[in-house]
Amino acid sequence: MSESTRERVFKKLTHAVDLGDEELAAEGANEALAEEVPPYDAIIHGLAEGMKLVGDKYERKEYFLPDMLLSADAMYAGLNILTPHIPKDASRSKGKIILGVVEGDVHDIGKNIVKVMLTASGYEVIDLGRDVPTPEFIEKAKSEGAQVIAMSTLMTPTLMSMQDVEQSLDKEGMKGKVRTIIGGGSVSEEWRERIGSDAYGKDATEAVSKIKTLIDTIIATAESMKEEDGSS
Amino acid sequence: MEAAQALGVDISTLCAGKGTCGKCKIRVMGEATTRLERTESEMKHLSEDEVQAGIRLACLTRLGESTVIYVPLRSRVGSQRLQTEGLDVPVEPSPLVRKYRVTMPKPQLQDSRADEDRLLAALTEQYGLPELGVDFDVYRNLPVTLREADWEATAVVWGNRIIALEPGDTSDRCYGLAVDVGTTKIAGFLLDLRSGAVVGVAARMNPQIPFGEDIMSRVTRVMMGGWDAVNELQGAVISGVNEIIEECCEKADVKPEEIYELNFVGNTVMQLLFLGVWPRHVAFAPYTPAGRRGVDVKASTLGLRANPGANAHHLPVIGGFVGADNVAVVLASKMLESDEMVMAIDVGTNTEIDLGNKDLVMADSCASGPAFEGMEIKFGMRATTGSIEKISIDPDTFDVYYRTIGDASPIGICGSGLVDAPAEFLKTGLIMPRGNFVTEMTERTDRLRKGLNGWEFVIAWKKETEIDTDIVITLGDIRELQKAKGAIHTGADLLMQRMGVTDESISKLVVAGAFGNYIDPENARIIGMYPEIPLERIEFAGNLAGTGARMTLMSAEMREYAEEISSKVKYYELAADKDFQKEYINSLYFPHADLTKYPETVELLRRFGQKI
Repeated sequence: MSESTRERVFKKLTHAVDLGDEELAAEGANEALAEEVPPYDAIIHGLAEGMKLVGDKYERKEYFLPDMLLSADAMYAGLNILTPHIPKDASRSKGKIILGVVEGDVHDIGKNIVKVMLTASGYEVIDLGRDVPTPEFIEKAKSEGAQVIAMSTLMTPTLMSMQDVEQSLDKEGMKGKVRTIIGGGSVSEEWRERIGSDAYGKDATEAVSKIKTLIDTIIATAESMKEEDGSS
Repeated sequence: MEAAQALGVDISTLCAGKGTCGKCKIRVMGEATTRLERTESEMKHLSEDEVQAGIRLACLTRLGESTVIYVPLRSRVGSQRLQTEGLDVPVEPSPLVRKYRVTMPKPQLQDSRADEDRLLAALTEQYGLPELGVDFDVYRNLPVTLREADWEATAVVWGNRIIALEPGDTSDRCYGLAVDVGTTKIAGFLLDLRSGAVVGVAARMNPQIPFGEDIMSRVTRVMMGGWDAVNELQGAVISGVNEIIEECCEKADVKPEEIYELNFVGNTVMQLLFLGVWPRHVAFAPYTPAGRRGVDVKASTLGLRANPGANAHHLPVIGGFVGADNVAVVLASKMLESDEMVMAIDVGTNTEIDLGNKDLVMADSCASGPAFEGMEIKFGMRATTGSIEKISIDPDTFDVYYRTIGDASPIGICGSGLVDAPAEFLKTGLIMPRGNFVTEMTERTDRLRKGLNGWEFVIAWKKETEIDTDIVITLGDIRELQKAKGAIHTGADLLMQRMGVTDESISKLVVAGAFGNYIDPENARIIGMYPEIPLERIEFAGNLAGTGARMTLMSAEMREYAEEISSKVKYYELAADKDFQKEYINSLYFPHADLTKYPETVELLRRFGQKI
């Protein structure tokens, strides 16, 4: 497999996601397998690159929700073909994220887009859906050993449910161990500060970059603790 | 000109078609341009450029064959903008409050009946009334009132109770107030309860706005502030209503004490905040209201300025997001009495949609947002003087014709203009159905440009405006409008799908709401705000909730009917529909992702030369 083959396949996948063309994405994914491009690379440098492009265009308003969802479909089409071929030990999940719309709210289009972007970026996403009771966030985070809880709401009164989750984490002594990020129509940086959440993502693109920072911090903290343990 | 009149297009003319005023300029499209001869008098009114562009005077142009004519906005007759109170639907007056002038014999040693018995007996004798109850406040003063009145008094009867007793004969003065308590605006109507005539109208911004622009942020305020916040919010809205009472009374020369009955409509959250009920649960899935039925409470308990015995009624609600205002809309539109299918859309920040006939009416609600009220739009504004309310774009030159309220220099764009803009963009090929600007069009017009915050189109150049800057529509604005119209369409479409109703079977579409009166029905349809229903079946009804509030103030039967509506109309929860997301996404397109739903619009766009 030559470098140019790799590049060609990546470009095709990126282009397919950008266009929202499911068939082209599937074609590109099959080509990657045929040309023995490592499926994980095809996802990261092909599909995810496409989603990044789409996310940027969405931010500039050049793409809108329908475009976003078409691209998501294309990405999943490629992902479904490539994922089964990733060797078990090499399924380098970058981190595990619990995602859901908080208790009392059922608006989930935004959350679904965040899910797509996170999946595209190589994270393992456990989607709890909408109107998720506070205890479920906590229990799932525990049982799955997730690093991040990501919560969304469009409505204002349900902002309080985010506060409930933060308080429960505190009670359970999980604060700091599990990081939180909030987003959605009614959410703001001020609200994040008020309820003591770890991050706020104003849109799907920002959510992904902030989650990356959160997880990097967790890893760095863990490593520095290991070092301290070693030196003492 | 005659052809235009026959088609129902009003072209302005001052000279009655003599070819002298030059107000009726039209553009003849396509090849026919060159084949139609101009007369001398016509040439006077046309510049060289206009002749080149195929401009004619409508009154002097004879059409020999099927021809496409473009009528610029400036040549159209604009309907005068009125502060509308909503359609007037007359009802037979049968108010819940009635006045009875009554005389009683003075007590004597031979006739020492109790004052109360004396009054009730006289009412039975003189009016055949059954034995009534007496409000405690009336009862306490009864001995004094009757004696001071020298045994001639007027009893104010609500239902089967005497709620007030006035000395002498006041039977010719009996008033009631109907109020539409909107999230943003409160509108009050003072009615003479004997005739049903509206004697005073007043409106205020809802004083709750500082506590939160939308109902949800007000509920949040309550959740953070507890019962103090409930009282604060209730106090705010009551003070707003009291101001309306004062203004109406002053206009009509009526004393607040002469108001004996008040009737309120509003969405379910406003109902709770008006009555002072804990509102949290209506804001959380599954959005349950506190009570569905209508509520009667003494106006004085709520702190309303009216007769101390006056009754305040809040009409029943339907569900968490379909309130008493919608009961009033269903009532006033008479859809539950109709043999044919009727659809009603009450456009607001939350848009309620009703569909049905005498057999079944279903209602849903969608969060259409405040875009059509001018919010979240770069140059958006409310419909006041200086707002652009009508926009038309020349398909060849891309010149923009607009009209402002009060003919003032423009300062922004209001809802009806915000409906026109995307429709005109679509017709002239400036945007694609998915809402993006066709960037190649920069070659044909400098109005389309990439601004600091992305793509935008200039509606009014800086030199024309009052605000020293170009008034533009941005790509971000178009996205907001797509979301708003998409939500409304989704609400309408899913109701139709679930009830198995097609466009053709809808006999009437009633568009209500503050800006409903002024929007261009065809442009609203081109952008896909509602299904493609024949234009002649679309009716604009203005503040129909206010109409319903007046009807249920004037008539006890109508009030009973409101209870029936509340229990009969079936609430449909859009959020629970499995196709919601899919339909919403499809509805974001102009007019829709599935163009087979809009054959007429597609044909129109093709006529304009758009490849769709």
